[in-house]
Amino acid sequence: MDDAKPLINKAMPDDARGWVESQLCDGEKVLFAVVGDLSLFEKYDACTLIVTNRRAVIVDKNHENGFFSAVFSDVEKVNVKRMYGNARMNFKMKSGEEVTVFRYTYAVAELCDVAAAFIEAVSRGEDIDEQLEIVSAAYEKKMRVCPKCGRTLIRPGAECIKCQSKGKIISKLFKYVKPQGALLIIALIMSMMSTALALLPPSLTQRLVDDVLPNKKEGDLITIVLILLGSYIIGTLLNASRGYMLRIAGDRIVRYMRNDVYEKAQHLPMKFYDKTSTGSVINRISGDTNNLQAFALRISQEIIVQLFMLVGIVIIMFLKDWKLSLLALCPVPIVVLGAKYFSRKIAPFYRRIWKRWAAVSSVLTDTIPCVRVVKSFAGEKRATERFKKYNDEWYKVDVSSAKITTTFPAIVSFVITCGSLLIWGVGGTWVIKGFGGLTPGLLVAFLSYVSMFYGPINFFAYLSDSYQGALSSAERVLDILDAEPEPDFGHGNCPEKIEGKIEFRNVNFSFDRAKKTLSDINLTIEPGDIVGIVGTTGSGKSTLINLLMRFYDNYDGEILLDGQNIKDIDMGYYRSKIGYVQQEPMMFSDTIFNNIAYGVPDAHIEQVINAADVANAHDFIILQPDGYDSMLGERGVGLSGGERQRISIARAVLKNPSILVFDEATASVDSETENQIQEAIERLIYGRTTIMIAHRLSTLRKANKIVVVDKGRIIECGSHDELMALKGKFYRLIQIQSMSEQVRQQKEEEHFE
Amino acid sequence: MSERLYINADEAKITYREFARVDMQMYDGRVFTDLEPRRLFPLSGLTKYITLIDRDMKEVAIIRDLDHILPESRQALEKCLDEYYMIPKITAILDRKEKNGLLKYKVDTNYGIREFDIRNRHSDIKNLYDGRVLFRDSDDNRYEIPDITKLDKKSWLKINIDL
Repeated sequence: MDDAKPLINKAMPDDARGWVESQLCDGEKVLFAVVGDLSLFEKYDACTLIVTNRRAVIVDKNHENGFFSAVFSDVEKVNVKRMYGNARMNFKMKSGEEVTVFRYTYAVAELCDVAAAFIEAVSRGEDIDEQLEIVSAAYEKKMRVCPKCGRTLIRPGAECIKCQSKGKIISKLFKYVKPQGALLIIALIMSMMSTALALLPPSLTQRLVDDVLPNKKEGDLITIVLILLGSYIIGTLLNASRGYMLRIAGDRIVRYMRNDVYEKAQHLPMKFYDKTSTGSVINRISGDTNNLQAFALRISQEIIVQLFMLVGIVIIMFLKDWKLSLLALCPVPIVVLGAKYFSRKIAPFYRRIWKRWAAVSSVLTDTIPCVRVVKSFAGEKRATERFKKYNDEWYKVDVSSAKITTTFPAIVSFVITCGSLLIWGVGGTWVIKGFGGLTPGLLVAFLSYVSMFYGPINFFAYLSDSYQGALSSAERVLDILDAEPEPDFGHGNCPEKIEGKIEFRNVNFSFDRAKKTLSDINLTIEPGDIVGIVGTTGSGKSTLINLLMRFYDNYDGEILLDGQNIKDIDMGYYRSKIGYVQQEPMMFSDTIFNNIAYGVPDAHIEQVINAADVANAHDFIILQPDGYDSMLGERGVGLSGGERQRISIARAVLKNPSILVFDEATASVDSETENQIQEAIERLIYGRTTIMIAHRLSTLRKANKIVVVDKGRIIECGSHDELMALKGKFYRLIQIQSMSEQVRQQKEEEHFE
Repeated sequence: MSERLYINADEAKITYREFARVDMQMYDGRVFTDLEPRRLFPLSGLTKYITLIDRDMKEVAIIRDLDHILPESRQALEKCLDEYYMIPKITAILDRKEKNGLLKYKVDTNYGIREFDIRNRHSDIKNLYDGRVLFRDSDDNRYEIPDITKLDKKSWLKINIDL
């Protein structure tokens, strides 16, 4: 501790540094400091919490003399109150006085939590060095950020996934374009050939007008017509073949891109889906990849072809008549400047249109799969109104963007037409006056070239439009492709045998910074244990399971399986060893057989039948007209809740997992079905570590350990009898439930009669 | 389930206690102490449906509308709510940069000047239909533009691209 530099999150402000320089006593040294961002009276200001080996000091102008100091021995408790967008640290002094000493935003909330725990622990007389180690770990975690973008890295020294893959959008798209190189190069050569052929007719027309027709050369006329016909036939063949090749290349690009985005979407952590609607993800996989495909083809083909055409025409035009060529170039600056302006104007519209469209898609993905709920609550009208509202919003934004997208091309056309008129006017006068040797044929040919010349100019002017659209799509696709996947540091580490011992050590977790969902979870589950987790709704039971399933990895503390940190075990292997049965079993749009065999796709038919038998599902499956081949809808249409649940248990049975997790598996079924499911569960759990979250406490009769969770903490843990004797929360829950159970049974019996 | 206690008008007197908490005395003599006021609708209803929670995190009462209660009670509650909910109001966008996939904003707010990062413009910037724009920065702090139409032109041009 003596030689260590104080831990600090950022440079100390002058007043705090001044305090350190002038106020430290002999032998006193700063251990760590948190530079906050808010003053006591709610203004952004750099205030500092300084913790020395003797006391805690808060430097804030709003304290008397500019700071507040409390020696550890005077502090009884440190309360941290997280509010909305800010938090407060209160010191409860041994004198009984409680005082708010520090305010801060969520930017430093984690460090302040640790600081508060340190001050409180040291005040209780705990070892200062030991406590400092915890603080040091928190600082290390906090400071583990990418030097480029400031994102928190998943482990020290890890490469920032966002920055690692950061680059120009075009270079990223090139990854998908490159494999189609051969096809695209052939298509490009064909394009250039057809473009070169397209430059031929005006020259031939000039000869026809100036030489062949006035001099009545019939033989030359037939030759020129045949040459023109030949060039048209070759041009058509080249364009058709090129179109076919581009279609193939384009489809391959979008196929690979979609595959990549979908694959990545599968490996994104749950926190990504917590913040992103499924409608928006689907939109990105379907619509945005199409936009990018079109853009990839444009930049790999059209740009080169149009550039080739532009250069070719300019050379020919200047060779034919440089004075008229200069006239033809007059509208170009207007078109180019207009395009720049247009590009700036249109960019926000593309984003808005997409946002509105994503909102429309979200309504679709919410309501169409839940059509039963919508109908049962007579919500058709409301659903339609909601859809209309979002669709109208999309319409409004699209219409307002249409003003720009349609006005700009019209102006460009007008400018181009004016350019042609200029050439007609000036060129026509020169022909009439015989100025500069300009012939009628040359003028006609020149006008043809001018109309062709404005084609590429138009293309480049509109390129910004499609570029903006693609840029917007690319951002959203890359948002998925570049998102941090679920970390799998233990990839390849597959322990030979899983005994099933699970330990939670000092686990703390929060979904966001506003509220801790789990606090100080310490729990040991021995192999073969049947553990019931009980607690009221929202107490943190399911979150506990979410962490065990590694749906969220950003918790503090450790979860161990057979003594090994679960983060160090291969994720796929780890999850394959856990059978997870949820309250709302999800069925895939597939056969019953494939739904059961989902976790073991190569399972033998009899294994699947056995699994269904163990799960008490076989008996109802055989009564289905299509048996195991019965198709199930997205939410298992055609099966009751209990039947779906038994299929999901069969799914778990087939995996032959070492650990079983039941998350309120019988919460939404009647007593008889519950008994059938319970029977299936009892058959399944034999010899396996089993964790059961139970709403109905009667389902925990086989549990040898019961854990009671309340407000994110374990408040009771023991056998059924021990907890009953304790007469605590579990005892109260049992009492309440036995009363409601009686009422439920009574109602079921009445219904039966 | 006991009946929920709603406060409609002057049937309760609410006084500020400390640390964003209040005491409440009902006209019928009942007294509730050490209550924390919280908005039930922090985004859509700033002055309506304020719940009062006791130390055990149990709801004691709901105030239907701050506009209808005693002025002193309202003042006490507003003091607590202002302390609890920190959503700085953005008055001007001073700078907006895009760097390494992050949007870096520098804004002027009623709390002073602040710089923050936005990770995802699609999910972290919400344009509400009443003209409000809500931001959530990379640390989960919130900010609000109360009325986008009242922003100065320079600010509007900077933010327009993200809306």
